[in-house]
Amino acid sequence: MQPESAVLLVFAAVALAFAVTFNPLSISRGALLLKGGTGLAASAAIAAVPTFDLVLLILLTLGVLHAAIDGRRAFAVRLRAPIVAVATLAVALVFAHAQGPDELQRFAAVGLVAGLAAAVGLMPYMHPLDPEEPMTSSPIPWIAFVGPVLAAVVVARAQQMLAPDAGGVFGGMLIGLGLLNIAWGSIAAWLTESEVAAWRYSFVADWGLVLCGFGLTLADGGRAALLILFSIVVGRLPLYVVSRQALRDKAVAQRPINFVVAGALAGSAPFVGFVARILLLRAATQLYWPLALALALGMLLWLPGSLRLGRSLAVPRGRQAIGVALVLAVNVAAGLYPLPILLAARL
Amino acid sequence: MVAGVAAFVAWLGASLVVLGDGRRALAFGVFLAAAGMTVIAWQSAGPVAAAAIATGGALAAVRRFGSGPDGWRIMPPGSTPRLVLCVAGGLIVLWIAAAVTTGAGASLRFTVMVIAGFSGARVLASEDASVLLTATSMLALVVALASAFGDGSGLWPYFGAAVIAAGAGWLPHRTARAT
Repeated sequence: MQPESAVLLVFAAVALAFAVTFNPLSISRGALLLKGGTGLAASAAIAAVPTFDLVLLILLTLGVLHAAIDGRRAFAVRLRAPIVAVATLAVALVFAHAQGPDELQRFAAVGLVAGLAAAVGLMPYMHPLDPEEPMTSSPIPWIAFVGPVLAAVVVARAQQMLAPDAGGVFGGMLIGLGLLNIAWGSIAAWLTESEVAAWRYSFVADWGLVLCGFGLTLADGGRAALLILFSIVVGRLPLYVVSRQALRDKAVAQRPINFVVAGALAGSAPFVGFVARILLLRAATQLYWPLALALALGMLLWLPGSLRLGRSLAVPRGRQAIGVALVLAVNVAAGLYPLPILLAARL
Repeated sequence: MVAGVAAFVAWLGASLVVLGDGRRALAFGVFLAAAGMTVIAWQSAGPVAAAAIATGGALAAVRRFGSGPDGWRIMPPGSTPRLVLCVAGGLIVLWIAAAVTTGAGASLRFTVMVIAGFSGARVLASEDASVLLTATSMLALVVALASAFGDGSGLWPYFGAAVIAAGAGWLPHRTARAT
């Protein structure tokens, strides 16, 4: 198992423990633990298996099981994205290993990026969302729980499978798709009507940074991607879990805590998102400075959406207040001293 | 020659799954596709792998034969795009597998690409749980077949795919139809 995947698995386990402990809704914690534990076990299997075909089979199994959970969206709607992802990745596998012209490897790169986007639920394959749906059967587990490990595995496998030329194409596509997701996700998080949809789009925007980090293929890019994944799994996801009750009650607030949460979601100092953004900009500057300029402009788009999401948390009380404080403290600690995370992932 | 015939049978089975809505068409389609894949798995990975593919495909076909919409329902009204997909998709994949790519294993390449493509397309175009789960079974089997391209993970993909293909049919319909 790659160190990066192992670290992401630990993040996912922490997020699951948080969700079971601090979920404000009156749901069965046992059921949440069972569903989350299944997702965690599948993520561990995805990270641990030695070959890409086994990754695809686990992804397929997970997709079928997730689609079978009771939920508001139709079974077909929930099954489509994982099946399309597996089919696309399988065809990419054929192209990556087939003998023939160099263009085949480039098509393989296209298939790998498209399959990853479909599995995680990013532009242009965003999973349909029902704001009233329970979190476990919604697209959120794909984008914030299983997706990070899957992305790390797919990117690592792609680097092994693809020739250097096609690897460059793969990186370029990741950056292009990342910029698209940054723009789409951050603007939609700001302007969409539904608060739940705004949260989902904010995940999409964060994933845009992750894709850019993976695509930059420099050490700082990989570090930035890992830290943004940390902020997704151990920051944004727990805050979304805590906000579920307020979202259901349609309660909003503009207390200081809401602005602090907005700062954390926007990636401001001293939270971990800030360090990740600095690393990403540094890597982009080394590679091609206009890209850094585009990323910097894109990062400004986080602010209005984050202020909105911060307000949607309302005023956390009791156990939820402890949960929010814990999340903010962990994100500040990782922002001030990210070295242990990077060392654990050997980045 | 044998591999070529097997690939054709696999395409025929996958096309039947694409064109049919009834349980007989779906069951016969997955049976044919699995039969073709079994022969190709035998050639690329040996008899045990072939047995796993055959078992998984047979169980999926048996299960599908016992549940789902009655009859064959092949090419119901409005299914012209599906027919075009089967013919044009098959020809394009044949061109890629036999002419664009080189080296041994053209039948394997054709089968993996055509069944993966048809399964994905079928899932995008249907709302019926029996159709979706049949496509899932077929996709699981072909992913195992694709392991022949990798660095070699032994027989595990074949066993795993057989379990998924057989188990997908038994997924409870109550949850499968949840809205």
